[in-house]
Amino acid sequence: MTAAPRMRALGAVAALAVLPWLTGNAFLQHMMVLWAIYALLALSLNIIVGYLGELSFGHAAFFGIGAYTSALLSMQWGVPVWLGPFLGAIVAGAFGLVIGFVALRIVGPQFAILTLGFGAILHTITNYWVDLTRGPMGISNIPPFSLGPIALDFAQARNMYYVALVFLLGVAYVCHALMTSRRGRAFIAVRENPALAASIGIDVFATKLHGFVVATAIAGAGGALYGHYLRVITPELMSLQYVAALIIMVIVGGKGTIVGPLIGALVYVSLLEMLRAAGPLRLVVFAALLTACVIFLPGGLVSLWRRLRERRLAPEPAGASA
Amino acid sequence: MDSDVFAQLVVFTQQVANGLANGMGYVLIAVGLTLVFGVLRIVNFAHGEFYMLGAYFTYYVTALAGIDYLGALVLATLAVAAIGIVANQFFFRPLRKEHEFTILLSSLGLALLMANGAEYVFGADPKYVPTRYADETLEIGPVVVTQQRVLVIAVAFAMIAATYWFIRHTRMGKMMQATAQNPEGAQLTGINTGFVHAYTFAFACGLAALSGALVGPTAMLTHTVGDWAVLKGFIVVVMGGLGSVTGALFGGILLGVAESLGGGYVSLGFKDAIGYAIIILVLLWRPQGLFSAGSGRR
Repeated sequence: MTAAPRMRALGAVAALAVLPWLTGNAFLQHMMVLWAIYALLALSLNIIVGYLGELSFGHAAFFGIGAYTSALLSMQWGVPVWLGPFLGAIVAGAFGLVIGFVALRIVGPQFAILTLGFGAILHTITNYWVDLTRGPMGISNIPPFSLGPIALDFAQARNMYYVALVFLLGVAYVCHALMTSRRGRAFIAVRENPALAASIGIDVFATKLHGFVVATAIAGAGGALYGHYLRVITPELMSLQYVAALIIMVIVGGKGTIVGPLIGALVYVSLLEMLRAAGPLRLVVFAALLTACVIFLPGGLVSLWRRLRERRLAPEPAGASA
Repeated sequence: MDSDVFAQLVVFTQQVANGLANGMGYVLIAVGLTLVFGVLRIVNFAHGEFYMLGAYFTYYVTALAGIDYLGALVLATLAVAAIGIVANQFFFRPLRKEHEFTILLSSLGLALLMANGAEYVFGADPKYVPTRYADETLEIGPVVVTQQRVLVIAVAFAMIAATYWFIRHTRMGKMMQATAQNPEGAQLTGINTGFVHAYTFAFACGLAALSGALVGPTAMLTHTVGDWAVLKGFIVVVMGGLGSVTGALFGGILLGVAESLGGGYVSLGFKDAIGYAIIILVLLWRPQGLFSAGSGRR
């Protein structure tokens, strides 16, 4: 990393750190927590969609697995809540390993359909295994994270924000480190041309499986954060609605970048609240946004900024600032 | 013969008959999905929404305009086919040269737009499509089938036969085959592939709408039914092989009967999971589909 981007990254972290102190409004702080968790999830899906170049329609299932794992472990076996995100990540990653091992043999639209099938099966099982998951009723009264005697629930949204932010920044750093590493370049090679990547000695299947497991594990950690914060989870977390929400965040923000999914999550969370009064029309707006981005702005919102900057720097040779 | 065994046989036949009716509904959805994939190379995630529109249009035409069910069926099919032309024009035509990934995302956008738009326009309360065939039954020995189910099976079979004949023997059908096999070659021989694409897409949407109009009255109708329909369509198409009409016919019947038997003898709750388990097995064992000789793996 050269000096300028590092300064920019540090500036962004500092801005995110002071953000909750700019308002005393508990609701806005609650939105910030939701943003951090959704951004984490969007970053994880971005590894599959943006870096590996495959479309997964089953990602919400891993989010749900993380949430259920952590909630059940803490409630039934008294496992400390702080271990939840890590255990959620391990279990979701294990499911990701098995499902990825099976599904990644197929590519393209068939892979999307296959992940849709796996996601739907996990959703169905969660819905009907009432003895374990309490079925459509969901699980409520999940213990929150706590700092000594202080429980980090809605009333402590500002502190919970920092917990979520630490995870988010950790994941963003992992994504950055991954993509500047040899393995990250292998991801891009596999996305752009699998046959060529294989010819220069990259194990295409192992590379994809690596990315898929990392992505599903992160989604699991995000699920655990979500469950312990909202304290209620239902099988709906695994439904197509959440799959679509995650895809919208990644595509609208800009796939294949780190800032993109963060912006996508911000757009999603803020529109969700601003349009609450609009009722069903709200989801129509999201759908229109997704379609408009796919057709007119394939690089997502981040590409707007890049486009503007390139226009300004037009006299310079292309790629000089990259 | 033991009366117990006989009773079980009757139950079994009953399950198969019900499964056949559901299966023929799936076939109509899947044939359109497979045609759109074969000719336009689009995996259309929004296909189920045309099923949903078909069912809603039938409801409004019968319940509100007071037109007879069979007339409503035809009107709904034609109206949805016309909407299909518009959808293709705006959501798929501009992306003709783009990566399949982009096209799949565009169809996801269209699906969300239609499903949520339907909630906005038609409301979230469930509707029941009225038909005079739902309460009448047909008794074949001890097996009892509602006339609506008989209608589904009969119309679907007739429609599939007509589609098959259309593709094989008409000028338009041959143009569709040519476009599917080699779009550039087809253009060289003077075929307007843009027109063929629009025609195929509208035809497929009409088939989905017909399925919605036929199967809609057998269940509660909500704006989310399109998700269900497209999932069933995908399962059938994957079983039969993407692009194969015959595969869609056998795949649809197989899925309908398997679900009906699974729901009856194993567990009603996991009935929907049977289909997903089937596609996972099929994609892993024969990615090109059970009834197709072509290659599904790239």
